[in-house]
Amino acid sequence: MSSVIEAIDVCKTFGEQRVSKNISLKVAEGSIYGLLGPNGAGKTTLIRMLSTITQPDSGEIRFRGEALKEIHAHQMGYMPEERGLYKKMTVAEQLLFFAELRGLSTRDAQAAVKHWLKRLDMMDWARKKVEEISKGMAQKVQFVSCVLHNPKLLILDEPFSGFDPVNADLIKDLILELKNGGTSVIFSTHRMDNVESLCDHLAIIHQGEKVLDGSVSEIRRNHFTGMFDVGYHGEVDWLDAKVKPVSVEHHSDGKVMYRFQTDQDFGPTDLLSVAMAKGGLVHYSEHIPSIHEIFVNTVSKGGTPIAL
Amino acid sequence: MKNIFVVFKREYLTRVKNKTFIIMTFLAPLLMVGFYAATIYIATETGEDNRTKTVYLTDYNPSLMLSHNPPANYVFLPAPSSEDSAIADVKSGAVFGWLKVEDRDTRAIDSATYYTSETPSLVEMEGLKEWIKGKANKHQFAKMGLRESQIDSAQASCDILTKEVSNSGDVQESSSTLKSGIGFALAFMIYIFIFVYGSMVMRSAMEEKTNRIVEVIVSSVKPFHLMMGKILGVAAVGLTQFVAWILLAVGLVMGISAMFLNSGGGMTTQQAVQKGIEARTGMATVGAMGGEGAQVATAGSEGARDLAAEFTEPLSNLPYFEIIGVFLLFFVGGYLLYSSIFAAIGSAVNQESDVQQFMMPVTLPLVFGFVIAQTVALKAPHGAMAKLFSMIPLTSPIVMVVRAPFGVPLSELALSFGLLVLMFVLMVWLSSRIYRIGILSYGKKPTWKDLWKWLR
Repeated sequence: MSSVIEAIDVCKTFGEQRVSKNISLKVAEGSIYGLLGPNGAGKTTLIRMLSTITQPDSGEIRFRGEALKEIHAHQMGYMPEERGLYKKMTVAEQLLFFAELRGLSTRDAQAAVKHWLKRLDMMDWARKKVEEISKGMAQKVQFVSCVLHNPKLLILDEPFSGFDPVNADLIKDLILELKNGGTSVIFSTHRMDNVESLCDHLAIIHQGEKVLDGSVSEIRRNHFTGMFDVGYHGEVDWLDAKVKPVSVEHHSDGKVMYRFQTDQDFGPTDLLSVAMAKGGLVHYSEHIPSIHEIFVNTVSKGGTPIAL
Repeated sequence: MKNIFVVFKREYLTRVKNKTFIIMTFLAPLLMVGFYAATIYIATETGEDNRTKTVYLTDYNPSLMLSHNPPANYVFLPAPSSEDSAIADVKSGAVFGWLKVEDRDTRAIDSATYYTSETPSLVEMEGLKEWIKGKANKHQFAKMGLRESQIDSAQASCDILTKEVSNSGDVQESSSTLKSGIGFALAFMIYIFIFVYGSMVMRSAMEEKTNRIVEVIVSSVKPFHLMMGKILGVAAVGLTQFVAWILLAVGLVMGISAMFLNSGGGMTTQQAVQKGIEARTGMATVGAMGGEGAQVATAGSEGARDLAAEFTEPLSNLPYFEIIGVFLLFFVGGYLLYSSIFAAIGSAVNQESDVQQFMMPVTLPLVFGFVIAQTVALKAPHGAMAKLFSMIPLTSPIVMVVRAPFGVPLSELALSFGLLVLMFVLMVWLSSRIYRIGILSYGKKPTWKDLWKWLR
């Protein structure tokens, strides 16, 4: 499959600190690519290089087969983690400005602004200054500002941080909608649950290195822990059961969650029947390993990047 | 390049459409006029000491006739015979002071003493000195057998008409006063413009950084283009304001004169102008107090009537093309040079309070240039110092403009402007390097060392 953007052996150093160490990755056209890693792992540096803001010290970035140039920025949308808007400008003026910066003619920009404001039911707010609208509204404007020009590649740095839950869901929907329209998306996050529901492919970055890379289904298969969570309203006695929970967690609403290890002898269905027999079962799910768990797991397997 | 224009458009439109801008464009000239009117009013009307002062006078030289015609606001009383009681009266406030003139020789009076309980002002001391000197002069003339009327008619006055001989041999009337005035006014405009609009560029860069907009923008605009768009956009705002002011001033002057001429009130304005000049002449001739003072003032107002006539010819002989050309070139060059530095500062800092440490070294040459313009360049526009500072790029925008009306050789202009352009290109390049990194550097307060690191 052809790639929309590809990084080959990219390195970046700030002073003494090597922030990107020989990172290579390939984002397939029309896919959603998740960049995971703890804070300070070098995600933002990588993203800034992909979005032409900074240049790598060595290595190469290719955009749809060509060496990345600034003109390619017109086909990209970028929403940084730290984001803001001009407070004194109206919503419409602001969006128009961003659209024109991305290379649209004034006429096309106006049409795009109108389209998106209608799409998000924000026509009434077009003439309001940003300082006069609510924070949630400003978040929507922020997102719209980077997709107005219908980019081929949308790069989002921690898109869900700072957004309220309603807007976070809206943005998830919009990302999927854009994907269906042919836009490829790269986003960074430090939370695994976002990746689960959105990504086709993901890479884990740690201390400037890519330590893991693969499709979500592959990674899940490789990191299947066999752990399952079972939840009840109130405590349950497991003394007579065949297996014992590996951990217990008490929730504030009175729910109690037990985690079990399954294996070949005692599979998920066996666990379910045991759990059902206890009565009052309210929760049953496979335990999705957190990024931290996968990360620890990956590093302990060999310490060096593992190709999947 | 298109993006420079997009940034330019935003910077320009958001500022020009701003209500504060529109209000200030109309209000600022009024404020300025009001400010100067108030200063002149305060200086002339209330600034002087109008108290009537009762002062003891001891005069060892009766021929001077000091007790006749005392200076305005002074009442002289003969001093008591005892020195102690005279001083005691000054101390108790019974009299304002005690003036004791001990000299018998009227050619040089150097043992006059003035006792007061409050330190007299410079103006007061100067006035008393001039008054005594005048009396002594009159006495000397009288000793030579001249009558008072003869003395007055013997007072000569002098005006020098300047005629400049150009290379082609043409002889033209010129006026140093006029040239100094124009040069200084233009230099002042550049100075203010760089300060006001330079810091506007800085605040704009800082706003984008602190509002965290800048990262979105630089993902589609080169930082250099962003910086240039910003600098040019703000410059256009300033020029718009200037043009608006000029139109406003022309409109006002035309409107007012039309109004007064039609209603036959032309005299009123003329009188007002005269009064203003009288007032200033009065201030200039500090020593002119009492009867003599009034005479000088009248002479001043007579001179003022010729003022317009005196400047008409030199005004038409000014090297307009050169003045305007130099003004525009150095204005643009100076603004671009300084505003690029201001932009770099704005990009480096995280908050307003961090600005100070970087502003100081940048504004210093500007202020220095202005001081040089006020002193050296106006006194000796062709002197070595004036020449030197009109070559150094950081001061040349101001100093050269002061020199321009006096005629600067083309070779000097070319060299100075060449240096300015060179410096400007270098500075824009350096600033854009700082800008490029500065806008994305958050966190700790930057130091000079950081800026140096970003440059490399």
